[in-house]
Amino acid sequence: MNFSSYILRRVVYALIVLVVIVTINFFIFRVMPGDPVRMIIDPKWTPEMKAALYEQYGLTKPLHEQFFIYLKSLLTLDLGLSFTSSRPVMDELLERLPNTVLLLGIALFIEILIGISIGIFAASKRGSSIESFVTGAGLFTHAVPTFFLQLVLLLIFGFVIPIFPIRGTMAAPPPVGGWAQFLDRVHHLILPVFSLVVINFGSWALYTRNAMVEALGQDYIITARAKGLTKKRVLRHHAFRSILPPIVTLIFLSLPSIISGAVVTETIFSWYGVGRYLLDATMKQDYPAAQGAFYFIALATIICNFVADIVYGLVDPRIRVGGGEGK
Amino acid sequence: MMALLEVNNLKMYYSVRRGDVKAVDGVSFEIEKGESMGLAGESGCGKSSMATTLLRLLPNNGRIVDGSIKFNGQEILTMPEEQFRKEYRWQKMSIIFQGAMNALNPVLRIGDQIAEAIITHENASKAEAKKRAGDLLEMVGINSARYRNYPHEFSGGMKQRAVIAMALACNPDLIIADEPTTALDVMVQAQVLEAIQDLRKKMGLSMMLISHDLSVIAQTCDKVAIMYAGRIVEYGPAKMVYNAPMHPYAYGLLSSFPDIKAPKSPVQSIPGSPPNLLEPPSGCRFSPRCPLADAKCRTVEPELEHLGGNGHLVACHKAGQLGKVGERA
Repeated sequence: MNFSSYILRRVVYALIVLVVIVTINFFIFRVMPGDPVRMIIDPKWTPEMKAALYEQYGLTKPLHEQFFIYLKSLLTLDLGLSFTSSRPVMDELLERLPNTVLLLGIALFIEILIGISIGIFAASKRGSSIESFVTGAGLFTHAVPTFFLQLVLLLIFGFVIPIFPIRGTMAAPPPVGGWAQFLDRVHHLILPVFSLVVINFGSWALYTRNAMVEALGQDYIITARAKGLTKKRVLRHHAFRSILPPIVTLIFLSLPSIISGAVVTETIFSWYGVGRYLLDATMKQDYPAAQGAFYFIALATIICNFVADIVYGLVDPRIRVGGGEGK
Repeated sequence: MMALLEVNNLKMYYSVRRGDVKAVDGVSFEIEKGESMGLAGESGCGKSSMATTLLRLLPNNGRIVDGSIKFNGQEILTMPEEQFRKEYRWQKMSIIFQGAMNALNPVLRIGDQIAEAIITHENASKAEAKKRAGDLLEMVGINSARYRNYPHEFSGGMKQRAVIAMALACNPDLIIADEPTTALDVMVQAQVLEAIQDLRKKMGLSMMLISHDLSVIAQTCDKVAIMYAGRIVEYGPAKMVYNAPMHPYAYGLLSSFPDIKAPKSPVQSIPGSPPNLLEPPSGCRFSPRCPLADAKCRTVEPELEHLGGNGHLVACHKAGQLGKVGERA
């Protein structure tokens, strides 16, 4: 199998997944109980006005027709108008996207950096009390419910010792001047980023530690040590290099969360982001908004999985396909 | 003349929850420059522990309890780790593991894995090391164009030859070959052994060949040590040990291999199984399985003694009476 046919297969696979998701995405809101226009109509409205509204949103059309309209607009990246705000969903999403990417991107970056370093360190100190402490701490923080830790942090650092803002993405009105605005953003980011790192570093650390311990038990590690390589080189060049493929895959698989946002975190910190938008849209049965957000997330997930497949092939020579070298 | 490698009363134990596993328990031997010694025995008799002890690569629960290892007269057990790593590992002693399995890192290029050893120990530039790694591959019959291949692109025999090339990278004085041909089929096995022998003679290397396969040792070694339950029970020139084994265990081990030239006869096996090294039997460790054992064998541990002349040593109270074992069989 050569590289282009490998890519082609991945593309076809991704497209199939996309179609399935899009279909589910459409029908799931249709079978959900409740009435989508309930949120925007006034109880005083006449049935005629309500019917007109249904007509306007296309809800009177047969289901399959609605489905085809939906598919057509997805292809043109037209996510429709939000029922609640009457603004294009795409605009609303793009407006919130930078905030979410900023929050979760920074958090993910720090989590991975800290988690992997701690994992390697723990594996190199196998059997010591430091290792037990690290694994214990990682498990503990991972088990703490996100909302609980975040509420406690807010209570302590937002209320008892009010050194951080308790809500929002930036101060309102924003401070004047680029530097002041930058500091203001950082100020608002610290608590949510910190809480996400605390909750999530453990899974990276534990995963890395387990993979490293397994790698360090392999015969080729004894060979590497017998060669007289330094401990550091054995650890980094031989053991870590060999666990890199699954780690890189994990990193790529976690990238979509940067876009999908952390629903809980954004809600608790009143973050103006995609996660909270999704939650609001679902609560208000805002079909276009929720569908749009889900579509957005699904697209990001599929793209990242696709990239992960390709990158895995690049970092693991065993599945590298048709690299041009070899026999 | 001083021997290249002198091992004296070496004891290496693994601590486990229930006590100490006495994997190497008072082993002594010598390897001269240019000489090859075979270390034979059943699985779990401590052969491979011997190899890891020589390179000081013990797992966390392994420790050296007693004894000394001298390399060119220099004690290496007490040497600082950093000095040992830099000056001895691979530089003076290298090891050939069962390369057909997992001795090579699957995600690194074969050539780089060889060059890495050169760069670590010598002031060679990257380009120089790469060139030498390519030459080494050629030396074991692998086209140097395959420098950039990964282990999965090699056959079992090629991997094993690459591992041999790697072992020669820093011109060591001693090569420890730990079951170098075990995972290979017989044809490839013969080629690999031949390659090892050729290179060894060309470069005047000493070798310690660890194997459970006595025919492999017979083919390649000047001297043989037979290990049982952490101790050497018979030691001497290969020809003498093979032709006239004096220890009942060595005798049993040798007769458990069929002779293709002799008339067909059932293969002999040694009844019983190797002892638990947590609590080895008192007296001679082989006594519970030995057809000749008597009260003395079960209480007094025999020492390795000169019995056959010409450096043929054996640890057995009944060494002279071996004919009887043969009769019984």
